[in-house]
Amino acid sequence: MAESRDMMEVLDRRVQRREERREFFRSALGMGVAAAGGMAALGMASSANAQSAPTDLDILNLALNLEYLEAQFYSYAANGEGLPDNLLTGTVGTRGNVNGGRKAVLTDPIVIQYAREIAADERAHVVSLRAALTSAAVAQPAIDISVDVFTAAAVASGVDLSASGGRFDPYASDNNFLIGAYIFEDVGVTAYKGAAPLLASADIVDAAAGILAAEAFHAGIIRAALYRRGVEAPVLRTIADRISDGRDTLDGTAVSAGPPNRVADDDQGISPTGTGATQVANIVPTDANGIVFSRTAEQVHNIVYLTPRQATSGGFFPAGTNNANAALRRSAANA
Amino acid sequence: MKDQIEFLDLMERAENQRSARRNFIRLCGGAAAMTGGLALLSGCNDDDDENPAPTPTPTPANPAAVDVDVLNFALQLEYLEANYYSYATTGAGIAAGLQTGVGTQGAVIPGTGAGAARAVTFTGSTDDRVVGEYAREIAADEIAHVTFLRTALGSAASAQAAINLSGSASVTANGATVPGAFTAAARAAGVIGANEIFDPYASVENFLIGSYLLTDVGVTAYRGSARLITNKTFLEAAAGILSTEAYHDGVIRSNLYARGLTVPSIFTRITQISNSRDTLDGAPDTDQDIGTAAVANLVPTDSGGFVLGRTAPQVLNVVYGSSAAVSQGGFFPAGVNGNIRTSRAN
Repeated sequence: MAESRDMMEVLDRRVQRREERREFFRSALGMGVAAAGGMAALGMASSANAQSAPTDLDILNLALNLEYLEAQFYSYAANGEGLPDNLLTGTVGTRGNVNGGRKAVLTDPIVIQYAREIAADERAHVVSLRAALTSAAVAQPAIDISVDVFTAAAVASGVDLSASGGRFDPYASDNNFLIGAYIFEDVGVTAYKGAAPLLASADIVDAAAGILAAEAFHAGIIRAALYRRGVEAPVLRTIADRISDGRDTLDGTAVSAGPPNRVADDDQGISPTGTGATQVANIVPTDANGIVFSRTAEQVHNIVYLTPRQATSGGFFPAGTNNANAALRRSAANA
Repeated sequence: MKDQIEFLDLMERAENQRSARRNFIRLCGGAAAMTGGLALLSGCNDDDDENPAPTPTPTPANPAAVDVDVLNFALQLEYLEANYYSYATTGAGIAAGLQTGVGTQGAVIPGTGAGAARAVTFTGSTDDRVVGEYAREIAADEIAHVTFLRTALGSAASAQAAINLSGSASVTANGATVPGAFTAAARAAGVIGANEIFDPYASVENFLIGSYLLTDVGVTAYRGSARLITNKTFLEAAAGILSTEAYHDGVIRSNLYARGLTVPSIFTRITQISNSRDTLDGAPDTDQDIGTAAVANLVPTDSGGFVLGRTAPQVLNVVYGSSAAVSQGGFFPAGVNGNIRTSRAN
């Protein structure tokens, strides 16, 4: 029975926290703070106390920044155009434009299907997160998905670009598109997984699990495609492994029991182990327990900012991500 | 104003669910087996420099009753998946030391003759060989999940139940003569005739279809259970297993799609299986096929881009092969072990 009582206490504390939060909303409403619109009040509260533990809204907004990036990349690659303006607005943060996206030169009908379906999923994630956040949704920050930034990402990972004039263009071919997608996909999975234990609301945990799973499907599809193509073009596996190593360097080696649980080496390439009848693929980047890795918000920023240092902008987000909570806009100091 | 009111409504609904759960815990909590004694998992050193995976995922010391039930339910599904992939890649099930625990321990029923559980031949073509490489990875992941969940649950871990893993025409399971579970599922879906068998071990194509039968169920089960887990460390671990299952499923579904471009009957059969699962588990629609050659549907999501989820009783509808409220059948001829064991009446 002791466990039951403990459990009850935990639940009671949660209910109490929820009551306090509801009281906050009621007060905000009563004081007219919300006259300017919805939960902008929350944003103000977070801004005033920027180092506080992230709220569910802060975490969803972190996710929204990543979804803007992914959705724009896939939308341009699959359709040749970005998201419509009405999906980019927000009262928090500075609205920015997209630099450098274009329709990818895709010829394999299977890769074309991947691009189309993933583009649709990522756009749906933007729509869903914005609907959940209502007026607390951040605006799309400036996003750079140009060849310059992808080249920087490849160079930082030590990918040999001598055969392509020192440039990496993710829109140039089926293979390049898959590598470009690979750069993002695992990051989204680790970001959602790292954030899951920080969420307070069961409803939001439920929704986040649904998006997490979609991102993992995408990652599995992209990694398997690179692995299969790697039979005939082994360089694809080498490049994927290099990018994985690059992400590992960017996001540092800090370790903590968590949650979120952090390990020094939280990224894996796709190259197989063993040979012949015992050769094993590495489609799923997991620890010894068959469990996918987590990244903190700061580690995720190290990768999308393409820096191992503490920074508030860079790489794919030249003006930084948007968030009312400053702790969710910066990368970690790993170097 | 509207936004805030909707948000408050959302929170009220969450509150109601929480109250219901608290009542459930009041009723059942004292009776549930509560055992601690959890050891931190020992780290395994990976000898591959490219893919080192050394550090253990931590587990908390005293899982709550709700978490024990949810994790044990997950463990039952992992026993099923681990044994399927283990048989397909090695010709044998998981180690005896991984099968013990609370409840009635059962064996895998492989069946005999055509359709018997056995190693799949993955050497036919480059595509087949690559699927073998995927299959060995998935087998290792599923066995790791069994090991992890058993360690996390400690002495509260449920035993492996009897598992019908056969495609044979008939097997003896729980004292009765029944078809192999894969054959029964394929007949119910109309994939094969009433007197035919479906042998998931006969070819790589059949193996992938057998995987589709099982792997989607694992994803939807973890998705549906995430919100119920109270301990944040467990929640993070469960999110990590959900991710792994989704990676697997992405691999399986994209392979089936690619093969469907040259063997169009694959699309028809996958649609039949998906529709059958939807019939078994009742409303709402929780299942999707892989689309058509013209329009792929590799990620089973709703209009919001969320992967679909099933409740635990709905998952049992699928693995028991019944739309009624029953406690055994299909892949689990003697039922699953643990407190969550009855399917939903649809």
